Amino acid sequence: MKRLVGLIVIILFILAFSLLLVVAGESIVPGRQVRWLARVYLNTSYNPWSPYFTVNSPESVTSVVWDYRGLDTVFETMVFYLAIIGSIALARGYRKYIPAKLDYSKLGLSIIVKTVTRITAPLIIIVAASIALHGHLTPGGGFQGGATGAVAPLLILIIFSQYYLIRRGVRKESMLIVRSLGLTGIGITAIAVFLAGLAADVHAYVLQNQAKATAPVSAPAYIDNQLISGTLWFFNIFEFFAVLAGFTIVLLLLTIPEKAYQDGGVK
Amino acid sequence: MDTATYFLYILISSMVMNLALALYGVFYKPHLTKKIISLTILGDTANTFALIIGYRLWPGETTPSRPPVLVGWTHLNKTMLQQYVSSAVDPLPQALVLTAVVIGLAVTLFLVFLALQIYRHYGTLDVREIRKLRG
Repeated sequence: MKRLVGLIVIILFILAFSLLLVVAGESIVPGRQVRWLARVYLNTSYNPWSPYFTVNSPESVTSVVWDYRGLDTVFETMVFYLAIIGSIALARGYRKYIPAKLDYSKLGLSIIVKTVTRITAPLIIIVAASIALHGHLTPGGGFQGGATGAVAPLLILIIFSQYYLIRRGVRKESMLIVRSLGLTGIGITAIAVFLAGLAADVHAYVLQNQAKATAPVSAPAYIDNQLISGTLWFFNIFEFFAVLAGFTIVLLLLTIPEKAYQDGGVK
Repeated sequence: MDTATYFLYILISSMVMNLALALYGVFYKPHLTKKIISLTILGDTANTFALIIGYRLWPGETTPSRPPVLVGWTHLNKTMLQQYVSSAVDPLPQALVLTAVVIGLAVTLFLVFLALQIYRHYGTLDVREIRKLRG
């Protein structure tokens, strides 16, 4: 009976979705009327001829993420960290378990895998950093860079074992500090232009990047003739560290040895 | 119906099937790991839907559209910018999907950790068994 109900629900769902597609008819892809919004985004993301409407970033997606819809992204970051905080809360109360005799050379996988990881893990970190630092020029950004960089601690955790990472200072506590510094950086960057406006006694907004007609302060678009697109570069860097540290925390929690939860662990 | 539209319809109907299968997995598979796998499939399908809906051949059906990245901004002139604005795809759905992917990964990791703790606590991941145990 239960299976029958489920089948009916699934069939009804498919029928309803097909009906939706039929009714939508031509507009599986949206109609021409949504184009003007995209044109506004594309036209103002890097436009030296209209200085009060530009983000000064050639990458329209990053402009949308951190400038036009910056508040949206701040709250998405909040959702991300609620998931991380949920994991940390779940892991409360486990005991520290470190084996009495720990031979680091015997832990983990074979020497071939370890050597390959020694070569590739720094490369992964470099690629991730370049994705994050070039987020305002080429496809990428802090979120993608952080998620890419989290592959390196994952590989090290699996291939070298958890103790190898912990001995080098990548602990839950230190990663929490890095994460908190990243989040604080995001918060400071969000209100930096607003505070500059307060100091200069002109009108300014929270999460403002470049100068507007009514708010004449702006974050520097160029540093030493290098385009950094105002706040976007700082947002990307802080988000990179925060996402990398957040993922590393959860991966470390996932690889807590089973004995730490049993009575053999030391409190 | 030309070939591109035909393939678009095949793609969209297969993704509706994907969505239905993922929902079936979330609701009717008793094992928590399979529920989580179905949930990731559901999230990825939703993201791909957003991208497909956001993508369209601008400005015409025959001219190619470009990714929303302004290449050659160091020597920009007004014609280049005009061309870019008229031919690049909409950046908004891509921006929405960008954050959703990373948040989906974080939520998946949280759910995996939750399932691991449930296994440590109850010794099983079958929801029917867990319901019987009651703490």
